[in-house]
Amino acid sequence: MGNWRHMMPTTEAYLLDKVLYQLHHNPEDLAAYNRDKSGYLARFRLTSELAAMISNNDVAGLYQAGVNPYLLRAHCIGVRIPEDVSLAALRSLLKEGDDKWLS
Amino acid sequence: MAELTGIYTASHTPVMLNFPERIAPELRNEIFGAYRAMGQDFQAGKPDVLVVLSNDHLHNFFLNNFPALCIGVAESYESPIEHWLKAKRRVFKGDQAFGSYLLQSALNEGFDPSFSMEMVLDHGSLTPLELAGLDPDLPLVPVLFNCVQPPMPTMRRCYQFGQFLGRAIRDYRALDRVAILATGGISHDIATPRMGMVNREFDEKLLQLLEAGDHDAVVRYATEFVHTAGNGAEEIRMWIAAMGAAGDLPFRRAYYRAVNDWYTGIGIGHYAPVKAAAHD
Repeated sequence: MGNWRHMMPTTEAYLLDKVLYQLHHNPEDLAAYNRDKSGYLARFRLTSELAAMISNNDVAGLYQAGVNPYLLRAHCIGVRIPEDVSLAALRSLLKEGDDKWLS
Repeated sequence: MAELTGIYTASHTPVMLNFPERIAPELRNEIFGAYRAMGQDFQAGKPDVLVVLSNDHLHNFFLNNFPALCIGVAESYESPIEHWLKAKRRVFKGDQAFGSYLLQSALNEGFDPSFSMEMVLDHGSLTPLELAGLDPDLPLVPVLFNCVQPPMPTMRRCYQFGQFLGRAIRDYRALDRVAILATGGISHDIATPRMGMVNREFDEKLLQLLEAGDHDAVVRYATEFVHTAGNGAEEIRMWIAAMGAAGDLPFRRAYYRAVNDWYTGIGIGHYAPVKAAAHD
């Protein structure tokens, strides 16, 4: 595997990135999200599938959708997804040969 | 003319502050000790100002407007910007005149950095400064490279910028002593299926090439193989800029350990004038 899902983000990924960025740079956004996830996510031009990835903490789905990994990482820590849960979700996507140097 | 008192390279990861307990206490103490040793060496050079080469992890910048390179020209820099980072809030003093000089000099020499008069430093800058125990009153000039979202500046362009930076610092007349801290890398993956799988072989080869002093080989290796070492390894752009700034100064590895449970190849290195190296 390479370092990046996309060498240029898709518009879909950009929209997901925008939500994650705003959640973790505006305290009022995070508070609104925690009060009413669906209501908050309706502010954005997301499909229901994309919105569900965020509200369901679907770390593997967000990775596959091309979310910027630094925003994804910050989101995992920022909404307190347990470290081992987010790691396991990402590892579930590992393909044969991706771990060839792990020792 | 300013003297470069030392050029340091060091990894950073928020895990060091947020989840330090994920590794054994002995290893943690060893790593924190290596950062403290870097800080002591750095302080011995008595710099007047520190130029910090780092990257913004999508905090100051977003995909609506993301500069390849940005020079800080603020009077001060708050840190950290991450609400979730377990670090004491602090304000670093800036050196606005020096930052402005570097910005104008870069433009004069054909580079096109953006600039920021209100930059909040993230864990990339804060973590190594914190762990090294550096004087919080030492003025900073941050220079941020895009290493987190393709398309990114090439390794060679970062090297050339580093060469420029070394020349510009040495030509600056308003300061006597300047140090550089380049932070990031080495091998690591952030939020990918490889996260926690450090490519030790990549790191070892890179460090060997740096020690051999073959700058062209370092740039070529970094360009051709960074994709095997994780998205976080893209941060070696700052190590390569440091190499450019160092010119003929030799690189010495101070510490390296592949720490899978901190997801990172933790490396610390140093370029120093020969006269300073003789006292070590």
